Amino acid sequence: MKEGARMIARRNRMIPALFILPSLLFLGIFIYIPLVQNFYNSFFDFSVFSPTKEYVGFSAFEQLFADKVVMTAFINNVKYAIISVIFQVAFALVLATILEDKLFRRIAPMLRVIYFIPVMISISVIALLFNFVYNPQMGLLNSFLELIGLGNLTVPWLGNATTSIYAVIAMSQWQSIGFITMLFIVAIQKIPKELYEAANIDGAGKIRQFFSITVPQVKEALFVNMLITITGSMLVFNEPYILTNGGPGTSSMTLSVYMYQQGFFKDNMGYASAVATLIFVVTAIFALIQIKVSGTGKDE
Amino acid sequence: MKKTLCFSILLLLLSTFLAACNSGGGEQSANADGKVEIDFFHRWPNEPRKSFYDDKVKEYMEQNPDVHINVDYVLNDAYKEKVRVLVSSDELPDIFTAWSDSFAKNLVSSERIMPLNEVIQEDEEWSSKIIDSQFGGFTFDETTYGVPFTVDGKAFFYNKAVFEENNIEVPTTYDELLAALDKLQKAGYEQPLVEGLTNTWAISHYLGTIFERVVDPAVLDKDYNEETAEFTDPGYIQGLEMFEELTGYMGDVSTAIDHEAARNMFAAGEVPVLYMQFAEIKMVEEAGDVEFGFFDFPAIEGAAGDPTALTGAPEGWMVSKNAPEETIDFLKFLTSEETAAEFTKTDGQLNAIEGAVTEENVNPASLEAYELITNASSTAPWFDNAVNINVADIFMRGGQSLATGQTTPEEILKEVQQEIANKK
Repeated sequence: MKEGARMIARRNRMIPALFILPSLLFLGIFIYIPLVQNFYNSFFDFSVFSPTKEYVGFSAFEQLFADKVVMTAFINNVKYAIISVIFQVAFALVLATILEDKLFRRIAPMLRVIYFIPVMISISVIALLFNFVYNPQMGLLNSFLELIGLGNLTVPWLGNATTSIYAVIAMSQWQSIGFITMLFIVAIQKIPKELYEAANIDGAGKIRQFFSITVPQVKEALFVNMLITITGSMLVFNEPYILTNGGPGTSSMTLSVYMYQQGFFKDNMGYASAVATLIFVVTAIFALIQIKVSGTGKDE
Repeated sequence: MKKTLCFSILLLLLSTFLAACNSGGGEQSANADGKVEIDFFHRWPNEPRKSFYDDKVKEYMEQNPDVHINVDYVLNDAYKEKVRVLVSSDELPDIFTAWSDSFAKNLVSSERIMPLNEVIQEDEEWSSKIIDSQFGGFTFDETTYGVPFTVDGKAFFYNKAVFEENNIEVPTTYDELLAALDKLQKAGYEQPLVEGLTNTWAISHYLGTIFERVVDPAVLDKDYNEETAEFTDPGYIQGLEMFEELTGYMGDVSTAIDHEAARNMFAAGEVPVLYMQFAEIKMVEEAGDVEFGFFDFPAIEGAAGDPTALTGAPEGWMVSKNAPEETIDFLKFLTSEETAAEFTKTDGQLNAIEGAVTEENVNPASLEAYELITNASSTAPWFDNAVNINVADIFMRGGQSLATGQTTPEEILKEVQQEIANKK
C-alpha cells in the first residue's frame, strides 16, 4: 500500500516534466543553440562561400565599436524606441480609454476593427502603400501639403537623409498602434466598474479618472506593452529594409538591417554575428531593466 | 453578438489575406515520376522574360519527355542574395543565371560550379556561335565556368526633339555635357538629368564609367584586383566630385525614386537625359513615344583614363557541379541561335549568339548599340561586379550620401582605404 502510493507520487512528479519537455526541446533547438552558436561565430571571419572559418578573436567586436554605421543604426533604433513608446504605448492607452468610454459604446466595435486592420496587412503591402504616400512626385503626403498651402514643406521623404528614418518610423506607428490599443482595451475591460462609479460620485472628471484609475489599473499591461514596443524597436527590420534599405547612405539604417547586409549582402558572416550579439545584448539589457522596474510576474 | 460579428469580420479579412499570400507563391511542380529533374533558377519574375522562359521550358519538356524542369525565380537584388545563400548549401539549382566577373568569381570560389571547358570544346557547332570576347568575365585561371548570353552596355540617352529645340549638339566631352545640362536647366528643365538613386547599382554604373575615364587603366587593374587594391589614386576623388556635380542636375526626387521611375520620366519626355542600359531601349519605346538617340559617356579632357572604354558586362548561365548531364543539353537549348533570336525579338535585349541579332528582330537603335558593344576596344565590367562587394558598397552608399550632401569624396575614399586595410 505504502509502496504503491510512493510510486504514484514519483510518477506524478515526472508528469509535469514530461509536459514541458517538448517546448524545452523546441526552445533549445531553435533559440538557445543558435544563440550560443551565433556568439561562437562572432569570433570567426568567414563568408557563406568559404567552407573554412578563420579564428579572429575579438577583432569583430573591436571593429563593431569603431564602426560609425553601427552608431548611426543604434541611434536610429533608439529614436524608433522613443517615438514608438510615445505613440504606441502612451497614445494607444489614450485611444483605448476613449474607445472604452460610454460615449463611444455604439461605434467602438467598428472603430476597433478599423484600427486593427493595419495589423493584419502584410508589411510588404504596407511598405508598398507608403512608398506611394511618400512619393515625391505624385505622393499623397506631398500632394496634401500642397493642397493646404504648405507646398514649401514638401520634401522627398524617403530620399532625404534627415527625414528618411522618421518616415519609416511613422509607418510603423500607423501599423502597430491598433495592436497595442487592442491589448489596452482588454486590460481596461478588466477594471472593475465600481471604481469608475465611485469616482463619478466623488465628482472626478474624465481626465482625473484616467490618471487615477485607468493608468494605475493597467500598470501591468503598460509595462508589458512597453517591453514589446522597445524590444520590437531594437529588432526592427522589415520596415526600413523594404522602404529604404537603410538609405540614402546609411541614414535610415537599423541594427538588424545592418546585420542582414553584412551577412548576406557583403558576406561578412562573422561580423554579422557580432552585430547580432550586440542586438541581443541591447535587447536583453532593456528587457532586464524593465522587468526589474515593473516587477512583472508578482501579484500586487 | 456584436463581438461575434466583429470577430467573424476579422476572420474573413484575415482569410482573404492568407489566400492572397498563398496564390502569390511560385509554381513549382510536384515530383515527376521516373523523370530526370532539372532545377532551373532565373531572375525574371517580370514580363516578358518570365513567359518567355516558361514557354521555352515547356517546349523543351515536350521535345524531351523524360526530363522535368522545375522553374524558380526571384527579382534582381533578391536573386543575388538567394544565390549567395544557395551556393553555400547543397541546394544549388542545376542551372541558373549569373553575372560575370566578381559575382561569378565568388560563386566559383565555392567549388560547386561545373567547369565548362570540355563541353565547349566538344560541341564546336554550338560554342563557336557564341561571341568569343564575352567569355572573359566567366573565365578564371583559364577555366570557363559560364556561358554568356545577354550582352549590354551603358550610354547617355537623350531626347532628340528637346536637344534640337534648344540647339544643343550631342556632347563629346564632359565639359560639353555640363554645358548642355546647364542650357537645358535654363530652358526650364528643373532636372535635365535623372537617376533612381535608391537603386545603389545605378550609382555603381555611374562611378564605374567615371573611374574608367579618369583613372589610368593600369591603376584600375591593380585596384580592381582584391590582392593589390589600394584606391589611393587622386582620380577617384576627381571621379566622386564629378558624380557629385552630376547629381546636382538630378533634383530632389532622385534620391527617393528607383531607376524604373527615372526611366519612365525619360520616356514621358519629362526629363531629357538619362544614363541607361541598352537593354532598356525596348522598355522606353513601349512606355512612351519620345524620339531618342544615345551617346557614349563623354571623354574627360586631360584625364588619364580610357576615353572610349564601354561599361557593360554579359550575363549568362552557370551549371552546378552536381547537375544531371541532361542539364548541358538544356543549356545548349537555352543558348541556341533559335532561342537567342526569339529572345531578342520578345525582350529587346541583345545577346552574345552570332546571327541572333539582325535587322529583323531589333530596331535600328539597338542594332547600332549592338555594333558598339561587339566592336568596343575594351569593355569594363559593372563596378559592383568588378570590385569586392564591401568596397563597392562604400562607394554606392557614399554616392547616395554625396547626393544628399551628407559626406565628401575624401571621406568616402578614406573609408574605402580603411576597409582595405581591415581586410589585410
